[in-house]
Amino acid sequence: MGKGRYLVRRLVYIVFVFFIISILMFFIYKSMPGDPVRMMLGDVSQSMKPDAYQALYDRTYLQLGLDKPLVVQYFIWIGNMLTGNFGYSTQYKRDVIEVIGTPMLNTLMLNAVSMLVVFAISIPLGIATAVRKNGVFDKFIQVITIVGYSLPSFIIALLLIFAFAVKIPIFPISGVRSPGFSGNGFEMFLDTAWHMALPAIVMSISGIGSITRYVRAEMIDVLRMDYIKTARAKGLKEKTVIYVHAFRNALIPIVTIATAWVVALFGGSVVIESVFLWPGLGKMLIDGLMQRDFSIVLTMQMFYVILALAGNVIMDIAYTIVDPRVRLEN
Amino acid sequence: MKNDQNGRKVLLEVRDVKQYFPVKKTKLREKQRYVRANDGITLEIYEGETLGLVGESGCGKSTLGRTILQLYPQTHGDIIYHKDGQAIDLKQQNAEQMRVLRKDLQLIFQDPYSSLNPRMTVGQIIGEGLTSHGIFKKNDPAMKEYIFQVMEECGLATYMFNRYPHQFSGGQRQRIGIARSLALRPRFVVCDEAVSALDVSIQSQILNLLSDLKAKAGLTYLFITHDLSVVKYISDRIAVMYLGNLVELADAEELFSDTLHPYTEALLSAIPTTEEDGGRERILLEGDIPSPVNPPEGCKFHTRCRYCQEKCKHEVPEWRELSDGHWVACHFPLHENNVPTGEVIG
Repeated sequence: MGKGRYLVRRLVYIVFVFFIISILMFFIYKSMPGDPVRMMLGDVSQSMKPDAYQALYDRTYLQLGLDKPLVVQYFIWIGNMLTGNFGYSTQYKRDVIEVIGTPMLNTLMLNAVSMLVVFAISIPLGIATAVRKNGVFDKFIQVITIVGYSLPSFIIALLLIFAFAVKIPIFPISGVRSPGFSGNGFEMFLDTAWHMALPAIVMSISGIGSITRYVRAEMIDVLRMDYIKTARAKGLKEKTVIYVHAFRNALIPIVTIATAWVVALFGGSVVIESVFLWPGLGKMLIDGLMQRDFSIVLTMQMFYVILALAGNVIMDIAYTIVDPRVRLEN
Repeated sequence: MKNDQNGRKVLLEVRDVKQYFPVKKTKLREKQRYVRANDGITLEIYEGETLGLVGESGCGKSTLGRTILQLYPQTHGDIIYHKDGQAIDLKQQNAEQMRVLRKDLQLIFQDPYSSLNPRMTVGQIIGEGLTSHGIFKKNDPAMKEYIFQVMEECGLATYMFNRYPHQFSGGQRQRIGIARSLALRPRFVVCDEAVSALDVSIQSQILNLLSDLKAKAGLTYLFITHDLSVVKYISDRIAVMYLGNLVELADAEELFSDTLHPYTEALLSAIPTTEEDGGRERILLEGDIPSPVNPPEGCKFHTRCRYCQEKCKHEVPEWRELSDGHWVACHFPLHENNVPTGEVIG
């Protein structure tokens, strides 16, 4: 089967999965207790006469389409979702799309930076420790990485705040930008990077710990293979043996775990965002749940669904690149 | 170039080679123990011959092959490679010098399934060594022609060039392995159980292929196997190994007709024949092969030898040349009529 047809099949498959999940989510949120109209109107009931409030209530009820059958409501909702109309946030009294932009950008920024740091450090480090297996360097890194990924991230966060914001105050402890900041684009970039340093370091540390150990284990497995001996016996340079023969074969499981981990990052940064008061998606999701702001919660859930499905497609594409055997099989 | 007394050119000298592998310690203050895979091996390999190396599983045959090619960091001894009148001690070479020498010294692996990189096409597998040794430049159109030629020599169709190893059968994969090593036009090839993973019908095809290539290119083989019928068919000389040591080495004919070591005798008696068993006695070795971590004292074979005497339990037998080109390590070598002599010869 060609690569193109394989991809088309995968895409059709995830569109199908997307709709099934969206139906499930919609009905779960519909069956939750609480009156969305009253939630939306909020405190106005106290300042209005009962019959005026009832009229407003009925109008809003019709406006939200709650009189229609559930199936119709679902189609209206999913149609709105797909055209970029994510609904109205009862908590912020604004459209979801206006509210969600900045936190999403903040989260993406933080995650992208820590992801780059993690891969840039852990892959070469994992390879280097695998090649020097059981040496002093390897054992040293083994200890460091196990500490890194065993410690919960909020403990690392507190330790780093204590060290680099309290004892040696070189980084700010919270926020995205200095209060009352003004300056041109580049200064803004520097200021944001300065604020991002601590949360990004914390997020990277646990990632580096686990991914380094994972890369090392995979590389050790592969380096034991006969075809590595074949490569050496051919008279290839040791660099070629390690980076071309061994690493390419170790890549498949690394791709799997890395993709799963990238998807998990977006949900998992809730803790870090709370500790550093980083206004991202994690904080927004928690607030939305607390305030029963279902439009926001549902929109974000669908975002995570899309992220997970996209992760799967990316994983599939990555497989076809790193493993020639995948291309020809189903 | 060094010659022996019969005027044969020596290609490789193996002098007292030892290869130990550390055993993982189970207790903290334990003394480091070693698997003695090769425990002092001395032999010469002549140019243009096929030297068969036989022995039970786990006796160190493959280790010797790989140690000669310096695929393990060698523990002890010298391996001298004679090239253009120069004697090169392989152990003394640095990584880069050794890498260059690998063009001459090649290996065909035992397992055709695990020894080919699953991410590379046949063309890449064969071509990689060629570019690495500067025989061809990368993307040289002549290289593809040359690879096609090698593939055809080894019985592979050229349309297989762009296929991956998993698309082939075991016999075809073994041919890929052979084509890969022979494409470099080596002088010496270690065939490490090159046919034992294959069907009998394919075995004979591959053996014939190896003999043809040897005749064409003047190759020297170290043919490692546990299959005695194969080794008899292909070898000029045969070396017998037991628990990390050579016990007997002789011309193929002589080893079968004038067996000197009791272990060889037992091995040879185990070859299945199609004749009705008239006079031939099957000698059963009792017990398992002892551990190479704690080999028995004296002659390592004494625990299983049916001619064992008191001396065998304490003294290590010397590796000596009893008659011309017939080496043995035994205190009491057998006579032609297969009874122990009870006296030391030599």
